[in-house]
Amino acid sequence: MTQDISSLMDGELEAHEAGRVVQACCASEDQKRTWYVYHVIGDAIRGQALRRAEMPERILAALREQPTVLAPRRRVVEASITRIALAAAASVVTVGVVGWLGLQGGQLRTAPPAIAKAAGPVTNVAANVPAPGVPAAGTMEVSSNQPVLNVQDYLTVHRQMPSPEFYRQVSNQAPATAR
Amino acid sequence: MSAPVSPARWRWLPALALGAACTALAAPPGNDPLEWLQRAAQAARSASYSGTYAHSNGDRASVIRITHVAVGNDEQERIEPLDGPPHEIVRHNDDMFCYFPDAKTVRLDRRVSARFFPAIFSAPASTVAASYVPSLGKTENVIGYDCQWIQLQPKDALRYPQSICSEVNTGLIIRSKTFNAQRQVIEQYTFTELRIGQAVPKSDVKSTFEARVKRWFTDTRPRDESKGVQTGWAVNDPPAGFQKVTELHRTMPGRPAPVSQIVFSDGVASISVFVEANSAPPRTAEASSEDGTTTFFVHPMGDTLVSVLGEVPLATAQQVARSVARRP
Repeated sequence: MTQDISSLMDGELEAHEAGRVVQACCASEDQKRTWYVYHVIGDAIRGQALRRAEMPERILAALREQPTVLAPRRRVVEASITRIALAAAASVVTVGVVGWLGLQGGQLRTAPPAIAKAAGPVTNVAANVPAPGVPAAGTMEVSSNQPVLNVQDYLTVHRQMPSPEFYRQVSNQAPATAR
Repeated sequence: MSAPVSPARWRWLPALALGAACTALAAPPGNDPLEWLQRAAQAARSASYSGTYAHSNGDRASVIRITHVAVGNDEQERIEPLDGPPHEIVRHNDDMFCYFPDAKTVRLDRRVSARFFPAIFSAPASTVAASYVPSLGKTENVIGYDCQWIQLQPKDALRYPQSICSEVNTGLIIRSKTFNAQRQVIEQYTFTELRIGQAVPKSDVKSTFEARVKRWFTDTRPRDESKGVQTGWAVNDPPAGFQKVTELHRTMPGRPAPVSQIVFSDGVASISVFVEANSAPPRTAEASSEDGTTTFFVHPMGDTLVSVLGEVPLATAQQVARSVARRP
């Protein structure tokens, strides 16, 4: 069967044989795994990134254990002055996490998760866990030594309209003067 | 309470009052776009109305309920964003009371750079016309009202083109659009439901949250800060048509000292210049972001960090930021 799967992947089977092998291949967990492993080997030989679909259970289980990280993914734009969408900050604020902009070497990037500041019910998000698909090393490097700047702070002052979350936090910590 | 926020804003007030006397609820003007513009700007203040509008700016969108009552030259307004936790702004002329019932906090402030649709102009039509060429477009029926489109074409590339749809009988702006240089809509306000005129009771502009909370905490710092100070900073090369509205210190999260803010306006768009310490580790390179009409530009100057935020193209924000200097 493994030879059949190999032949199928190499395109060496006739149409009716291919149909049979596809049916058989998906019938057993063992053969599904073989199918997956062969593709991983093929990808590795061709120098492509590892496949994410149909990961073995062990990896999927490990991923399920990871907490969800409420932070935008890193995005690098090639330009002399790079831009990032304010929307990233705005949408993060919507879920109660303050979005940060960091700057390093002339590049403005969206938040590395390590500096996300939580508010309200999402306090203490395990924010230093990289989101799946984000190269962890690069992300952490960005967070470790770049100044951060929060556009939302400036927008709030300009619009003179703080979000209710801001005052909920403030009042919990240090109540303002009573009327 | 009645101290003027700034000389610039104060200077415009007599003109606004004159505009009110001349144009409030007058018959529709003829074909003079400047008269239409003046009437639209005035109606936002002198008409009474109640409705709900949608606002989209770049990737962000919100829905807001507004009730506005005018008694003589006095304006009372209640603005309630309908998304997120409950909060509202009750405005009496330039005095703003922001109620946050969950935090039992009312925040006092004075209108400096805030802009609330349909009051999108912060200066009389003549000031707007110094930077924009108004012209009349088509007439259209919008949510049951006949309205006249007025186009504002900027005289230079320092600001964005706008179109406003002015209700024919009262002049009230029912819809407005801001475009980028490629004529794509980047910001839009539109009433989805609106009542204009006598039917709006004065009780509707009172806070709906005030009675719900027994004891409110009052944050008076924003109002104290809005009185303005000499920040010691100046913009040496402000873009043509932009006048300084005021300068003040603002407390911002995570900063040991208040941040200096200088506000400019051309009557339509406004720009805030922020000057603060370039704290360690210092930022060394310029950076920018744009979303809808909101442009943000950061310009480090050694120990000082200059940030500019406004409803202007990036080049305008850059011109402002790069000409910031200590006042001699």
